[in-house]
Amino acid sequence: MNEIAQRLGFGGRTWLRWAIPVALIVVLYIVPQLGGSSQFRLGEYEEVLSFLVIAVALNIAMGYGGQYILGITAVFAVGAYGAILVAKYHPQGIGLLAMCVIGAAIGGVAGMIIGLPALRVGGFYLALVSLFAALAIPTVAQKWAFVGADTGIPLYAVLGYTPKLSGELLYVIVVSLVLLATLFSWALVHSRVGHRFVALHTSEQLATSIGITAYRTKLLAIGISSVLAGAAGGIYVYTQQFFAPGSSSVNFAVLLLAGMVIGGGGSITGPLIGGAIILGINQFFTSLQQYNGIVFGVLLLLFAVFLPNGLLARLNVVGERLGINPPRGFGVPGGRAPIEVAPAGVAAAVAASSVAASAAPVNGSGPGAGLNAHAARQLPPWPPVIGAGDPGALVVEGARRSFGGVTAVDNVDLTVKRGQIHGLIGSNGSGKTTLLNLISRFYSLDAGQIRIGSVRLDDKPPHAVARAGIARTFQSPKLMLRETALENVIPAVELRVRCLGLESVLRLPRGIRVNRQARAEALEILQTLGLHHVLAQEASALPHGTRRLVELARAIALRPSFVLLDEPAAGLSPVELELLAEVCQNLARSGVGVLLIEHNVPMVLSIADTVTCLHQGKTLFQGTPEELRANTSVASVFLGIDEPLETPS
Amino acid sequence: MTLFLTALVAGLAVGSVYGLIALSYTVLFNSTAIFNIAQGDLMMAGVLVSYFCLDRWHLPQVVALLAIIAVVVALSLLEERVAVRPFLRRPGIGLGWFIATLAFSLIIETVASNIYGQNPVVPIPGALGDGTFTVAGVHVATKFILAFVVMIVVMVALEIFYKRTWIGTAMRGVAEDREVAALRGIDALRISRLAFVIAGVVTALAAFVVAPIVSSDVTVGLTYGLKGFIALAIGGFGSLRGCVIGGLLLGVAEQMFDLYINSNYEILAALILVLIVLAVRPSGLFGTRAVREV
Repeated sequence: MNEIAQRLGFGGRTWLRWAIPVALIVVLYIVPQLGGSSQFRLGEYEEVLSFLVIAVALNIAMGYGGQYILGITAVFAVGAYGAILVAKYHPQGIGLLAMCVIGAAIGGVAGMIIGLPALRVGGFYLALVSLFAALAIPTVAQKWAFVGADTGIPLYAVLGYTPKLSGELLYVIVVSLVLLATLFSWALVHSRVGHRFVALHTSEQLATSIGITAYRTKLLAIGISSVLAGAAGGIYVYTQQFFAPGSSSVNFAVLLLAGMVIGGGGSITGPLIGGAIILGINQFFTSLQQYNGIVFGVLLLLFAVFLPNGLLARLNVVGERLGINPPRGFGVPGGRAPIEVAPAGVAAAVAASSVAASAAPVNGSGPGAGLNAHAARQLPPWPPVIGAGDPGALVVEGARRSFGGVTAVDNVDLTVKRGQIHGLIGSNGSGKTTLLNLISRFYSLDAGQIRIGSVRLDDKPPHAVARAGIARTFQSPKLMLRETALENVIPAVELRVRCLGLESVLRLPRGIRVNRQARAEALEILQTLGLHHVLAQEASALPHGTRRLVELARAIALRPSFVLLDEPAAGLSPVELELLAEVCQNLARSGVGVLLIEHNVPMVLSIADTVTCLHQGKTLFQGTPEELRANTSVASVFLGIDEPLETPS
Repeated sequence: MTLFLTALVAGLAVGSVYGLIALSYTVLFNSTAIFNIAQGDLMMAGVLVSYFCLDRWHLPQVVALLAIIAVVVALSLLEERVAVRPFLRRPGIGLGWFIATLAFSLIIETVASNIYGQNPVVPIPGALGDGTFTVAGVHVATKFILAFVVMIVVMVALEIFYKRTWIGTAMRGVAEDREVAALRGIDALRISRLAFVIAGVVTALAAFVVAPIVSSDVTVGLTYGLKGFIALAIGGFGSLRGCVIGGLLLGVAEQMFDLYINSNYEILAALILVLIVLAVRPSGLFGTRAVREV
């Protein structure tokens, strides 16, 4: 009994964590009891509630997916018109559910029509094109007799149409629908689909480097939020019995945006709170409506500049100070799942980690015993999973790429064999990173080819490179900064531990199993790299060296056939450096081909099987470390001396 | 045929206004890599100034022009300070500046509607009078000619400025890499202020020429802003000529839509046009530069 009380947080203030949302939900249900329950009032509440569903939809695409479909009100309007037209011409037998489904279907199509072309350019094009659609649709509707022109379509005037639901029952149902939409958005963002959204939002290069198809994922984000916004149109029409051009002006789109930004995009409840504030003020304080634009504009501006993460992020910080939220970044990750599903040995390591992390590292006390020279010996093998079928090496042949007048990579040949470490050295600007980006397909080749065995990669999109078994890290680590270290690694595991996105979102049996497996494997890899103490920390709070290791863990988590490491040693401490060398060697031992770009030449020479030295885009040297030591041209270019680096012993 | 030519002339005139807005976007984007959605509302503010100066107070055209430039440039600098500069200093992800400039446009619009009200602005006397002359049986209003000429002059001036002057070259370099620009001794903040001043002047000119052509109200800002963007998307990002061609194409397409399809749904012309251009040729007709990854 005591334990349950403790878990619920009695004794501290953490119980407020669940008590506050529960109280808010209860208040939401009894609003009519508090604020008047006349038919007119109920209609007004329901109007705001249907808008909140759009806010949830916008948050999925924009807050999480980073796709600025600002004109989502266009999608809402199209869905609403679709639903109300069907109801007008088939008044019998169309209920709330049917209206939502019709709205969702038509809204989804409208979202695709806007999204498909605009996404080919990306960035703010989607924002502007969709905003223009939000402007155009009511303008067209105003003149179009079929949709009732300026006066709109009043459903209450349609003979034979009688809604089955009304009064407080309808209100309760609509509140439940809003909560359902919220629950759905939570399930979505905490699924493999949501992980992809956040990765893409952070950086398209990061996303494609772990095999995420950028265009499809963006479309999916827009599609899901359009379906939801269309369904909101159905709810609106059913509760208001009316739709007209004025129901979705373009300014309404700006209000929704303001609600989301002020509440906090990229959090589940932020847009609801922000939306309720902004839309509520707009609905119920009509005497000041003349100045609302100024107030909301100023608020939006202030939040965009000073509090880009919104009110809720601020409240979370306050909550931490008051002891309501557990402070982030301590102990084992939040949630119980990883410990339950992790192998027993790993779980024990987690339990021991709090001791190990605080005390001096104890040699050989388990895989999580902190960073030390011996930890590396316990690294488990990471045999390739992706691309393991093909025994071929990664071959770069005659690669050339110029930018303007500069030929950054000029006729470079390179072979990375499985199970070997290939060092790539050269001064700044010698073309190392360009070569890596050519392999990753972030740049396209001017000439030459890149292949694994006989399979050409240079005509494939960037995500196909990861899916062919090539993982990589970046010169400046690309991490999802608002996610924890663990959450940064999970999407990489999810490239190879697969199930349908829908199974993962809806928590179907296979979805649950796969979700857990991805989490457990990510956890294990981080722990083997000695990162157990940062699992639950936000990446933004991690020191530079740790970020590099998390990125390394993400690359390993793909279980690739080849790993491209772009200056992984920069900024690492001596202990971390030793771990890095061991990781590289362990990868090679496991049969992975490693391409290691480094300025730390002693390290490269000590672990590489082959070394390539680039100079001004050309290959200056290729051979074993011993041959490099004996080579005079490398020494003369880099050190200006005419003798070998050191005499081979 | 006469109908067609009349529509063509009107299309070129309105298109010149879109082209001018697109040019001001390009000036800003070159130096700051941001897209200022409030540009249309800045123009709307200029139209209101024009109305007060010419219709209410009967001031001379030159005074009106100077007043428009002063107000629009002042608002541009205010916007640069409060809504743009905070984001130029901040590296990182997101389109925060987009939200901020949208907020600024909302503020301008609401303030304007509180000053002026919701009524449409009455047509304002043009700088060259309300005369027309006849070419091949088509009446061409001098105010149309003025819009077209102003756009061409602005485009040529900008081309010369970017190609021939040191500061023009610097202004193009800053957006590509702020750090490198700083290392070369270019003060990025001063450059972005200058870009806002130039874009403000271009927008003020757009306001000056559009006021006699189209009767507007306080809500037209966003419409013009978005149509300027569509002109830009059609022409292609980063190309001054693209802005001009895109603007003219859009203006003519709208008039043709009016004439041959349905004048009630004129706004669809722009929407359909931009969706087609993006689907067929995403970088636009003269696109030189991919929009940076966001």
